[in-house]
Amino acid sequence: MNRHVTTCALFALLFTAAIARGQDIVIIANPSVQISQISGAQLRKIFTGVRSRFDDGTRAVPVLLTGGPAHEVFLSKHIGDTAEEFQTRWRKLVFTGQGSMPRQFTSETALLSSVAATPGAIGYVSRPPEGNAVKVLSVVP
Amino acid sequence: MYRRACMLVLLIFCSHRLLGQDLSDLQIHGYANQGFVISSNNNFLSMSTSKGSFQWTEGAISVTDPINDKLRVGIQLHMYQIGQLGGPDVEVDWALGDYKVNDWFGLRAGKIKIPMGLFNKVQDVDSLYPWALLPQGIYPIENREMNLAALGGEVYGNLSLGKHHGNLLYDAFLGEGYLAMNSGYGRQLQEYGLNFPTDPSGRNFGGDLRWMSPKGELTLGASAQSQALDGQDASGSLHMPPALMFAYYAQWTHGKLELDAEYWRTPLYPVLTVNGVTVPVPIDGRAWYPMVDYRLAKGLTVGTYYSHWVNKSEDTSQPANYSKDWVLSSRYDFNQYFYAKLEGHFLHGIAVGYDAQTNPNGLKDNASILAARIGFAF
Repeated sequence: MNRHVTTCALFALLFTAAIARGQDIVIIANPSVQISQISGAQLRKIFTGVRSRFDDGTRAVPVLLTGGPAHEVFLSKHIGDTAEEFQTRWRKLVFTGQGSMPRQFTSETALLSSVAATPGAIGYVSRPPEGNAVKVLSVVP
Repeated sequence: MYRRACMLVLLIFCSHRLLGQDLSDLQIHGYANQGFVISSNNNFLSMSTSKGSFQWTEGAISVTDPINDKLRVGIQLHMYQIGQLGGPDVEVDWALGDYKVNDWFGLRAGKIKIPMGLFNKVQDVDSLYPWALLPQGIYPIENREMNLAALGGEVYGNLSLGKHHGNLLYDAFLGEGYLAMNSGYGRQLQEYGLNFPTDPSGRNFGGDLRWMSPKGELTLGASAQSQALDGQDASGSLHMPPALMFAYYAQWTHGKLELDAEYWRTPLYPVLTVNGVTVPVPIDGRAWYPMVDYRLAKGLTVGTYYSHWVNKSEDTSQPANYSKDWVLSSRYDFNQYFYAKLEGHFLHGIAVGYDAQTNPNGLKDNASILAARIGFAF
């Protein structure tokens, strides 16, 4: 019985890891955002608190997932951080009075709703969203 | 009377604003940590470390609220106890209003953190770096209060230099700095018989300029600040003319590897007057360190640094005028909230980290120190 549980857990772990490795991330934004593509460098600056505006001058409001494969893939692929490093980066701003932590959501559904309702919001999900409540941004080098 | 009336009007105005505001974006964060130190010789940081000491506790809680797209207000309350230093009072670490016009111009006012070097602003936030103790030649934990914060204002900004040239970040401040009487310097003043009822203070101004490479791996910067101090009690006074301090630094990160280096010069020329006798206490501090840390596995970071400090205004061959510290360190993050650190120090010289009151039988020139900390942040 124990051996069976262990085997199942191992398969689940390998399956999750495979999803995480192969997973792509879709960058989404509120329809009020005027741009349709964003450079990787600008995306990184917005999500690390270095910049608070898009290239067109409008305010950028980054929103995050609290954790999970999509969050980790986004951080690894677009920010170059682990979840702990990313957390530390924002805590530096928070604990020195230089910034506030971006809003975080436990599910992609909640994140999508927030991006759809917040002017200037930018976030990420694991698959292209249905409907036109949010727009998809392409990331260019 | 006039000041009280102004305070009352301000309070009523702020309460009204607060009541009329959506508090859904209010953020509360905090951290707390506990340390343990044991040393082979000497008592370190005013603790009885030769027997092992747990007298090292620190914590803070912050509340921030974005009033609108450009204005944010916040406060952080902080307490610490390191041996005989600090505690038990809770103090305001920072409290400010932050008005950010755009990325290249913002304004903060209130009690602000002083921009100086790589780690000055985060000196009292243990969870933000891998080390149990930052290089003590530059960031002496017993005297950090003097550099941490000022009452005043600052302008700051971030200038983009184009896609291939990175960013230039600037920060300039002006205000009133102070020397906390419950810090290491305060204890030294008490050893001279000076026990000021209020913290000595004076004009404090300076700035920081740093360049970040386009992908953010390399940071190069320089900081400067001027600090003057004056204090008086019945038995004497402290006068420190404006002291101009400089810092130069570099940081490079590449994947799991981080390299840092700093050089600071801190020429301080305080003059004490005790019962009519004038005592100059010249300190021309020159300090530098190189450090490296590497993320060995998920959650586990290891690192090493060498910290060097000398007082150039005295005989630098004497152990009382230098401090040379080799350090090996490790940190383990159990999850995004909890962590533990273990660190060994091989210390030569007695210029940094010691005081006479906790070492009544004198000091040996060398000591080995083991420091451990556990903590959490949210």
